[in-house]
Amino acid sequence: MRVDLDRQGFAIGGENTAVSRALAAALLDNGAAEIRAGISDILILSLPLCPGPGFDWSAQKALAREAGAAMQARGPGEGRGRILFLLSAAAALPLRRFPDYSADMAAALAFMRALAMQLAPEVRVNALGAGLIGDPPLAGDPAMLRHAALERPGTISELVDAALFLLDPRATYLTGQMLSVDGSWSVGYGRNF
Amino acid sequence: MQTELDGRVAIVTGAAGAIGRAICRRLAENGARVVVSDVVEGAAQAFAATLPGGADRVMACRIDIADPQSVESGVADVLRRFGQVDILVNNAGINTQAHRVPIDAFPPSEWDRILRVDLDGTYFMSRAALAPMLARGAGGRVVNIASVVGLAALRLQSSFVAAKAALVHLTRAMALELGPRGVLVNGVAPGSVLSEGTRALFYSPDGSFAGRTAEFMDHVPMRRPGTPEEIAEAVLFLSAPESSYVTGQVLAVDGGWTAGSAF
Repeated sequence: MRVDLDRQGFAIGGENTAVSRALAAALLDNGAAEIRAGISDILILSLPLCPGPGFDWSAQKALAREAGAAMQARGPGEGRGRILFLLSAAAALPLRRFPDYSADMAAALAFMRALAMQLAPEVRVNALGAGLIGDPPLAGDPAMLRHAALERPGTISELVDAALFLLDPRATYLTGQMLSVDGSWSVGYGRNF
Repeated sequence: MQTELDGRVAIVTGAAGAIGRAICRRLAENGARVVVSDVVEGAAQAFAATLPGGADRVMACRIDIADPQSVESGVADVLRRFGQVDILVNNAGINTQAHRVPIDAFPPSEWDRILRVDLDGTYFMSRAALAPMLARGAGGRVVNIASVVGLAALRLQSSFVAAKAALVHLTRAMALELGPRGVLVNGVAPGSVLSEGTRALFYSPDGSFAGRTAEFMDHVPMRRPGTPEEIAEAVLFLSAPESSYVTGQVLAVDGGWTAGSAF
């Protein structure tokens, strides 16, 4: 799929992961340019996508707040600015074995949603919720597989394409949402048959 | 976005309405063969004639989703014409216009009328379209058009709210059942959209809630209703080959309405 990102600048903050690198390549491929100074049209905030201990995401939070305010201050041009959080699908459904990680993810999701309300209408703010991606995992936990109706891990390109859709210049009424790319893990957790 | 739906056959119900028309257009622009189905046959035909591709790529079809016989014969017509079904967009739905009253005053006949279309009709239509989709074994997509009222309850339309909440959960259950068989099922929950129905109620001077639009928009961070095209964009993604690991999701396209409390 293609989205028209011609003449748009993007910046990526936070964790440098295989997912964030693949997304950067896809943004370039769709016409956007990476910018290292000034106000970008698109800001990607990358958080740790493999469940583990709790983590500090204060840098991403500060960056979102600062860049969001700058995008908003740029004035009219509804939805021209876009902020996308790369989260784990565990942001909306905690994992028993990773309480601190789940809590930090949930906090990032709540912040994303509040920021979307604050920055509308100039800036759209959304999140990707990654399930089990890749083998060995680039995102998610192998235990997710038994509750995913698609019975396989997702691929990095499936994750990246969902991100492109959330940044789609035509998706102008979409803000404050997390789209999970998890093969149904987050709705199928009740039973594995 | 731009994707490749070449050769795929998409049935869109309620396709003569504002959101249905926008969905048909986006699917057709991306190469799908589109079945414009509506309970009002003339409206379906008139709109189908405006889509690109001509008779090889577009057909109009009368389907009353609340009537299982109409559904069966409509799907049979589609199979005769195009031979397969790859994408089903369960878009048809109704809400109450005249009975904006609390549940203790809500007329049973109106309750039944709305549930029959919005919930039963989605079941009838899904059942009929899934039969050839599953039999062919090439996978497929179902996109259910729910509503933000299925996520955040509103007053004075209890049957619609209940039906749309049911569609949200039906979407998830269908995704779990059909995922192993290659069919992905997702939902789009539109916020307030400029369509014929909302225009009559909210956005015209003689609507029941005319004059309260600003008050209502206070809860929508983008401060405006959505357009049918904005809903159609999400349907396009969920119908596209690229959304192949997304299933069971209900994506609200609502200008931030359900992101949280705006006060």
